[in-house]
Parts: sequence; structure tokens; C-alpha cells
Amino acid sequence: MMTFNYIASFFLIVLGFYTIITKFNLVKAVIGLSIADYGVNLLIISIGYVPGGTAPIFTEGEISQLSYFVDPIPQALTLTSIVIGACVTAMSMSLVMKLHESYGTLDTREIRRLHG
Amino acid sequence: MSNLLNYIHFPIYSVMVLFLGAFLIVVLGKNKFLRHLIAVLAAGISLACMIALIKPVMLNGEVIAYWMGNRVPAGGYAIGIAMEVDALSLFFGLLISTAVFVSCVYSVQYMSHDENIPQYFTLFLMLAGGVMGLVLSGDIFNMFIMVEILTFAAVALTAFRNKVYGALEAAFKYLVVGCMGSTCILAGVIMLYANAHTLNFAQLSGIIPGMMSNNSVKIAFALLFVGFSTKAFIVPFHPLAADAHGAAPASISVLISGVLTKSGIYGIIRLTYFLFQTMGLGSFQFLLVFIGCVSMFLCVTMALAQHDFKRLLAFHSISQIGYVLTAVGLYTAIGFSAGIYHALNHTLFKGLLFLAAGAVLHETGTTNLDELGGLSKKMPHTTVLFLIGAFSISGIPPFNGFASKWMIYQACYEKAVESGNIGYVLVTVICLVTSVLTLASFVKVSQSVFFGRLPEKYENVKEVPWGMRLAMGMFAVLCVITGLFPNLVGKFLTHPAATAAFNANGYIDAMMGEGYASSALGPFMNSAQNVVFYEAGVWSPVSWLLILCIVLLAVTIVAVTGKYEKVNALATGEPDAKHALFFSGEEAVYSQVGGSDLFWGFKHNWRHYFSFMHDLHSGILNDYALWAVVALSLAMLFMLIVL
Repeated sequence: MMTFNYIASFFLIVLGFYTIITKFNLVKAVIGLSIADYGVNLLIISIGYVPGGTAPIFTEGEISQLSYFVDPIPQALTLTSIVIGACVTAMSMSLVMKLHESYGTLDTREIRRLHG
Repeated sequence: MSNLLNYIHFPIYSVMVLFLGAFLIVVLGKNKFLRHLIAVLAAGISLACMIALIKPVMLNGEVIAYWMGNRVPAGGYAIGIAMEVDALSLFFGLLISTAVFVSCVYSVQYMSHDENIPQYFTLFLMLAGGVMGLVLSGDIFNMFIMVEILTFAAVALTAFRNKVYGALEAAFKYLVVGCMGSTCILAGVIMLYANAHTLNFAQLSGIIPGMMSNNSVKIAFALLFVGFSTKAFIVPFHPLAADAHGAAPASISVLISGVLTKSGIYGIIRLTYFLFQTMGLGSFQFLLVFIGCVSMFLCVTMALAQHDFKRLLAFHSISQIGYVLTAVGLYTAIGFSAGIYHALNHTLFKGLLFLAAGAVLHETGTTNLDELGGLSKKMPHTTVLFLIGAFSISGIPPFNGFASKWMIYQACYEKAVESGNIGYVLVTVICLVTSVLTLASFVKVSQSVFFGRLPEKYENVKEVPWGMRLAMGMFAVLCVITGLFPNLVGKFLTHPAATAAFNANGYIDAMMGEGYASSALGPFMNSAQNVVFYEAGVWSPVSWLLILCIVLLAVTIVAVTGKYEKVNALATGEPDAKHALFFSGEEAVYSQVGGSDLFWGFKHNWRHYFSFMHDLHSGILNDYALWAVVALSLAMLFMLIVL
């Protein structure tokens, strides 16, 4: 069952990179970044998943050898990664706005003052 | 409370003080004096902490293992989050904090023309803290977080002067490709976690080398390697560096070129020497040396074709990173210490050159090589400081660039003898040719910015304020010192760092408890290499200085006694055929030999190559993203086939 998750997450990462390469619109490049980011998040969560495990919330004394729960570390990592992804989107969208103001276009083929 | 000043706390202080300064400036930044005080103080304390660690870490060879909240490993598992400072980390930490401090001093007066200065200093300190955190961290997920912080801060600072031609576009390209790199790093980190169930760097280094037959570990290696390559801007990520350095304020270019690229190199060293321990493989040495040589040569030729001062410097910085990577890839003690010595020198001289470019921009408002000229009459101090930097980067004897390049040549030859592979001789040749081309392009820069005739519109240009000259002076003094005393640099900095790099087992044991490395690695353990620095980089600075003086004296005598006729090609009416070669032939054009004309013969012969390269660096985001993905796929293929 997890195999499907792994395949889906790598599919999302590849799809995100594919979007960045093939689309000439800046907003679509930002969307591509987000898709790749979601792919990684899905990968992280899938790695920490244990079939049949409970939520990893225990108080002291409650935890024993028999406790059966999903790995909490990947969940913490995912939260961090989601926050970072939101920052990437916010920052890149603000740059896109500024770029549209000064270049009057969102086409990557025309935004190439720096080249060579 | 008294043990708060114990040196084991210094690594965390040096990171914390920068972030604390960043937040304090948000609150108190309205006041000009307070803002500058906080920024310089934060950078200064961070530098002082690093310097205080030289004695225990560099000289006594300790490895500082600092567990947050004192959660030490239990049952062979690292539970807490750790900072880990061995000589290699400290070496990069010192280099970074020096550059940050000097750049901070320079910013105080350099940014005086700009708006939103508090935000500038906040981002500046965030960037500095991110890089410090990256090199001192002992936890691979924290390394990822720091990479993200420094990428964000660097992008924001690149776009800081958003009225500058191309700044926004440079920032956006850097953000997209940089974030692709960060995504790769995160995916790599989590794939390692899936295999080893730990994020601690030392523990991973103990477990991963035994798992190299696992395909997911190989893919993780490729992802991490490419991720850190985007931070080091090595080929094929060099166009981003060129755009970002050119558009950012000069004080930030110093950090991007001197510090960010070094953090990428640090990441690559940690991966290849510690985490995966693959440097023993000949094919892997070939990979690093090959990427290094390509970066070195390709970027120096790109630099020759540039017309913008800062963009030219940007290409040179990737070229110098190529030297570092080549030397590190040799996997010999002398090669490694030569490589990091060059990394140190590069931070110093490239910082100096960028600050000089910033000084020119501050006074004239442009960095276009074709418009400038004759500034040595107006800015004599800046000119002298620039020349020190230019001599250093071109590898002219008494300065530091020569010392480290000399060691790199030596290391390549020794490697050729040792391995019997004639290819390493070719590497030396590429290094030499690159060095010559570097000199050529700095002849061009000094000719078209500082010498020649002064354009009329720059008649009122003045020397830059003292604070900026002070900052440049610090770099210049360091350039001369590290060049004149290579033995001291070796003793205090590079040799301990190289010894640490070849002692991965010691690093693991210091963190996880004695004996962990041998029990975890088992048959996969590389026996610690015998590190000797016999006659590493031997040369006598004093005799070279004498030679330089004699040559200068000879040139002066020839110039003074020889027949020297000042010819003004335009005033004499019909240009002399002998001189016509050097001028464009049109009277309307100003007759100074412009930056683009100086090596026109060379460029003409290589015109196909140059126009091909020019078209290749199209400036279109999709192309650069495509290069990144191609690099990633090639890296994955390489890892799957070779390892």
C-alpha cells in the first residue's frame, strides 16, 4: 500500500519539475515549485507511517514496549516543510508581482535582461 | 552560571547572537546609531567566539559535541539535536564570520543612500546566522533548515535594490532554482532517515557507509549532492550566481560569493568525506575533479566576455570555486589543505574586489566597464586596494592567491605521480591556463576602470568614506598576511582542518561515544589515513618579494629612461596606422582602449566559442531549470552505476 504513496510522491516531484521546465509563465513556475514540495511532504509522511499505529501522543508512564504508534519525527519534519513551502510561495508571488510591475509581462522568454 | 563562559557554549552563541541581532534590529532599528551598533556587535561577537575556539579545536584537536538540553545519546541512538564543531567546521566558521564582520562594517556607510536600511540589516544578519548554523550544525535536518534560511535571505537581499536593472529577475531565477535544490536536499534527507532512522550527522556517518549497496541510499546521495551544488553554484548552476552577484548590493555579493558558495563546498565535503565516505573511489575523485575543471575553465572564459564589473567578478568566483573543488577532489592531505586554503583566500580577495566594485558603484553610479575609466586619479586608495585584490586572484607571488594555487599545482602533480594517472598533469595545465586567463581579465578591468583617461562626467568623483576604506583595508591586510605566512596558516587553520577531514571515525566517536564508529561501521570502516604535510606548498615569500621588487625596478628604469612619447591619436588628425589597430577607428567614439577592445584579437579567434556560450546562457528561467534537472538525472545515473 505504501508503494503507491512512494510512486505518487515521486510522480508529484517530477511533475513539479516538469512544470517549471516547460511552462513559460512565472506563476506556473511557482505552482510547479509547490507541487514538487507537496510531493516531498507526501514522501515524508509515508515514510513515518506504520500500518495500524496510533497517534504518537503519550504522557509519561503511559508509554510501554507494547505501544504501537506511527513515527512522530517525520510528522514534525512535515510541519516544518509545509511552513517553508508556504514561505516559498509567498516570497515568489511577491517577486512575480514586482516583476509584472516593472516588465509588464509574465513570460519567462521576455524576462531575460541578464544573459550571456 | 560561571560555566556559561566555558568554550563549549561558544558555537551556539556565535549562531544565536546573529539571529538575536536580526530580531533586535526589527524592534530597535529605527534608531540609526543603535541599528549599526547591534549589527556590528553581533557580527563581532560571533567572530570573537570563533577565534576563541582556535586553541581548543585547532591546536588541541578537540571535537566539541554540544547536545541541546544535554540530551546525550542513549542506547546508541542520538535523541537530541546536536551541534558539532570539529576543525573543519571551525575553519569554515572562521572564514564566514570574518567575511560577515568586514562586510557588516562596510555596509554601515555603503547602504547610506538606500531606503529601508533596518530591513537590510535584519536580512543580513539572518543570512549570516543561516550560514553559521549550517557549518556548525551536527544534525542533517537542521542543515536543511539553515539552507532554507540562507536561501531566503539571499534572495531577498538580491532583490533588495529592486530598482536596479535586472535585480528582481535575478532574485526570481535564484529563488526557483535554489528552491529546486532545497527540495532535493529535503528529499535526500528523508530518504536517509527512512534507511537509518536518525537525523544526527555523526550517527548517519556511522550507519550509511555500510548501506551503500541500497539503491535508495544512492538516490539520496545524488539528491543531496545536487542540492548542495546549487548552493555552491558550480557548473551548471553558475548563471544564477552571475545574475545574483551582479544585481545584489556589493556587501551582499561578498557574502554570496565568499560565504554562500563556501557553505555549498562545505556541504559537499561533509557528504563525500563523512556521510557516504566515497572519496576513496577513483571514479568519485574523477567526478569532483572533472566538475571542478569544467567550472574553472568555463567560467573564466565567460568572465572574459563580460562588460559589467560585478558580473565579471561573479564568474571569476565560480572559477575559483572550481579550483577548490578540484583540489578537494584529489583526496590527498596536501590537496585538501590546498583546497580549503584557496577557499579561505578566495573569500578574502574576492571580498576585497567586490567591495572595490561597490566603492566604484557608490561614487559613480555604474559598474559598466565601457563607461568607466581613469578613476585612479580620483580614488587612489581604492585603486591600490583593488590592485592588491587583483594581484591576489591572479596568483602573483607575494599575495595569497599564489600561495594556494602553488599548493594546488603541487598537489595535482603529486597525485599524478602517486596514482600514475597522466590525466592529473592535464588538470595542472588547466589550472595554469585558467590562472593566466584570470590575470588577463583583471588587466582588462584595471585598465578600463582605474587607468586610462577619465571621462568628463566623472570629474567630481571623490574617494569613498573612511568606513568603506577601512573594511577594504581589513581584507587587503588579511590577503597579504595569508600570502606571506603560508606556514602559519597551515599550522593554525588548514592542516588541522585537513586532518579532521581524513578522520571521520574520530568525528563519529566524539559524538556518539568511544568505539561507536568501529562497531557501527564494522568492515566498512576506512582506516584513518596517515596525514603528513611534508613540504606542503613550500615557497619562500621573501625571495619572491625581492624578485617582484627587482622586476618593478627594471620596469621603472625602462619606462623612465626609454623614449616615451605621448601620442594623442585623435589630436593628430589622421590616426597613425600603427595605433589604428588599438582604436575603434571612429572619431566619435571615445579613444580610450575600452574594456571590450583590449583582448579583441583573442576574442576574435575564439568568436565561435564565445557566441556559442553567449547563446547558451540565454537568461531564460526554463533553460536553467532544465540544466538543474539534467544535472540531477546525471548525478543519479552516476551514483547508480558507479557506487
